[in-house]
Amino acid sequence: MRRTIPLVLTFVVGMYPVFAFFVPHNVISNMNQRLDTYLVIVAAFALPLGVVNLVGMNLSKIKQKKSGWPYSIVLLAGLAVMAYFGVVGVITGQYTGFHPTFEDLFEHMVSPLQATMFSLLAFYVASAAYRAFRARNVEATILLIAAIVVMLGRIPFGDMLTGGNMTPLSEWLMDKPNAAAQRGIIIGAALGAASMSIRVILGIETTYLGKGE
Amino acid sequence: MDIDKLLYIDRRIIYLLVAIGALIPIIKPIGLPVVPTDPVQGLFDKVESLGPEDAVVISYDYGPSSEPELNPMSEAILRHCFTRRIRVMIMAIFPLGGVNMAIRQVEKIEAEFPGLVYGDDYVNLGYKDGGQAPMKAMAVSIEEVFPTDVEGTSTDGMPIVEEIRNYDDVALVISLATGIIGEWWADLVNAQFDVPVAVGCTAVSAPKYYAFFRSQQMIAVLGGLRGAAEYEELVKRKYPKIAATYEKPEQKVISATTGMDVQSIIHVIIIAFIVFGNIMFFASKKKGRG
Amino acid sequence: MSRFYIFPALILLLAVPWSVYGQVEPGAPVGSLRAFDTPADDGTGVTLEWTGEGEFPIRVMRSTARLGDYQEVSEAFAFDGSYVDRSVDRGTEYFYRLEYVVGTDTLVTEAVGPVAAVGNWFRTYRVVTLVGTIVMFTLVIGFVSVARQGRELYIRKISGLNAINEAVGRATEMGKKIMYIPGILSLSEIQTIASLSILEHIAKLTAIYGTDIEVPNKDPLVFSAARETVKQAYLEAGKPDQFKEEMVTYITYDQFAYAASITAKMVREKPATNFLIGSFFAESLILAETGQAAGAIQVAGTADIPQLPFFVTTCDYTLLGEELYAASAYLSREPVLLGSIKAQDIAKVILMAIMGLGIVMLAFGSDYIRTILTTR
Repeated sequence: MRRTIPLVLTFVVGMYPVFAFFVPHNVISNMNQRLDTYLVIVAAFALPLGVVNLVGMNLSKIKQKKSGWPYSIVLLAGLAVMAYFGVVGVITGQYTGFHPTFEDLFEHMVSPLQATMFSLLAFYVASAAYRAFRARNVEATILLIAAIVVMLGRIPFGDMLTGGNMTPLSEWLMDKPNAAAQRGIIIGAALGAASMSIRVILGIETTYLGKGE
Repeated sequence: MDIDKLLYIDRRIIYLLVAIGALIPIIKPIGLPVVPTDPVQGLFDKVESLGPEDAVVISYDYGPSSEPELNPMSEAILRHCFTRRIRVMIMAIFPLGGVNMAIRQVEKIEAEFPGLVYGDDYVNLGYKDGGQAPMKAMAVSIEEVFPTDVEGTSTDGMPIVEEIRNYDDVALVISLATGIIGEWWADLVNAQFDVPVAVGCTAVSAPKYYAFFRSQQMIAVLGGLRGAAEYEELVKRKYPKIAATYEKPEQKVISATTGMDVQSIIHVIIIAFIVFGNIMFFASKKKGRG
Repeated sequence: MSRFYIFPALILLLAVPWSVYGQVEPGAPVGSLRAFDTPADDGTGVTLEWTGEGEFPIRVMRSTARLGDYQEVSEAFAFDGSYVDRSVDRGTEYFYRLEYVVGTDTLVTEAVGPVAAVGNWFRTYRVVTLVGTIVMFTLVIGFVSVARQGRELYIRKISGLNAINEAVGRATEMGKKIMYIPGILSLSEIQTIASLSILEHIAKLTAIYGTDIEVPNKDPLVFSAARETVKQAYLEAGKPDQFKEEMVTYITYDQFAYAASITAKMVREKPATNFLIGSFFAESLILAETGQAAGAIQVAGTADIPQLPFFVTTCDYTLLGEELYAASAYLSREPVLLGSIKAQDIAKVILMAIMGLGIVMLAFGSDYIRTILTTR
């Protein structure tokens, strides 16, 4: 029973959007939209679960003075401050949009921190490219040449060095071999996803349930 | 010369050189020319074909992490649309910061066009949760999906919302997207409701979107900073007033064209390292055989 | 005498009023108006079609009675030829007419109706997709049945999956932990479900070998599912007492804060093995490159195409797209699961054959295949 109910639910809820894809009648589409809403609600209720785990883990770390425990204080303080101003702003309804402190914290702390993490990619791309693009064999050499052509084609230097030919060559690489390969992988991945989805819907794949017989 | 050591240079040296390479063009801009390409020209031509009787939806589907690449695109597009007095509906679907991006961008650009009327020429509809659900629902009624704007003001009675009722009244959707949201617009809105869709995306997503562009599911793809720089170049060539805006120092330093200087230097550094690494690789192979 | 006056009176009656505000004569700019329920929709549209030339505007007028008060619903151009009215109430009957100006005259087409928008039961333009869906389901069910009968099904070697045992063994020998990152999207993403099936297999191995495993999560739903998966794996391996709740943790919902936390752990704790399996976005290179720098053996798997190049260049093994979805079948070797992989392969062959045919037909000037394969 513990396994049957989730499997039946999975089948019904999984097949319904497939059915609604072909049937436009409002009776069907209204329920389909509700399913989307239910997903958002379930995810919203799952969020406190994660937060409770996070808070519990960090409190225990502080209590037991495990390695790195001061950072747990910073984490919990950040969580409390952002949550307070976010919730106050919504509950009081005094502010148009967000609470000003929440906006300041977002704009001057969260935003720059996210941008900083994203900017690490520039450095990591450089070190990964240096390490990976070696002409070890034919395929690696093709990869290397394509990478250099595209990198040069994306910057003005490429055209300056080659009399305007690098951009069209780079665009050709992106348009033809790259697009063809992307399409092939997309089709393969889509069929794989379809097969996996059918397995989940029909109850053949049950690992996500995480419960034994 | 220890070839083995040179074969695997400490990555901190690479990071240091990349950092220096990024700083130099910011301190001393180079001003390298940018050549527009077809995927970007497509959007420019489409916007040029529109006028005050047309409406464009711009969806801010990115967060602070993609700001450096997508903000310049957003500014160029907004300036272009506002200059042509195209009616613009701004919205956001990305949950982590999309609406903040939209608010800041609109606040910045609307100040340059004091003659435009909020609620008539443009409106910021704010964030809507649900991913593809609001995108589908906008085919029936935009006002029902966004009963209030970003500040909580009712959209009932706003001329732009009264007149632009659903996708039938929208000439173009532009999604400034991170991740897969750009695909959603093409798969859903273009495929099912036949609305032209253009996507501005981060450089890492651009290769994937080329497939959509070539199969005409998207009319244009602006890929990363290069795409933003190309669009800036196109609008600057056509509209001297916009070009003058970009010449102001506070705008120049954050423009995509300046960003392209940085990107150009860094690409050259990476290529130099790749070439150097391969030379050392072949040298070590030769040494090994010897 | 009366008959003599009837004839001109009739002519006057017909000519005078209609020339100002009247019927459209044959050959007039706009005509042949018809209105019908928009097919294959949810009952929110009425389609109007007319014949017309010229760039002059026409007003679409609507009323609930033929001789009632007509309100404008939209403007169109004469050359448009059609308009879909989506502001109708389902089931309500309407009448439509078009009004337009020619010179100084306002002309009106004859009102058509009554027409009501009703929900339809099938999207006829998706019949090809329906056929494809039925074929796919049939193939999966068919090959699963074949597999259940005991017939052996071949599946090619997938290096990334073969390397899992080696990677877990390395961590056991070095006495260091395994870090398993199940991607950043929620359970609604099929890649995450595929990732959890691989996690179950790896967790069983770590239970048997006594290796430490850590599973940091970005999504709260995935966090609870992953915890159940790992707990169940330890139970099935006969080592329930070795399972600790701290093995599976929730970090944060923010993408880059999550990446920062994991990279910091990698640098501090130097796991021997990293598994990055699931859906990733921009943080993929940050995670993989940091793991590489920390000296871990890395196995990655994703169907997010833009991230594949980053994983290929920084990880020792990468599962590309569909290899990720085949993982649960490959690792368990359960005939039923292998049957579904076979079905997927057959579907791919059918699709390739259709595409090949379409390319040949296109070369000969026919885009029939392309048209029917276009899904709206």
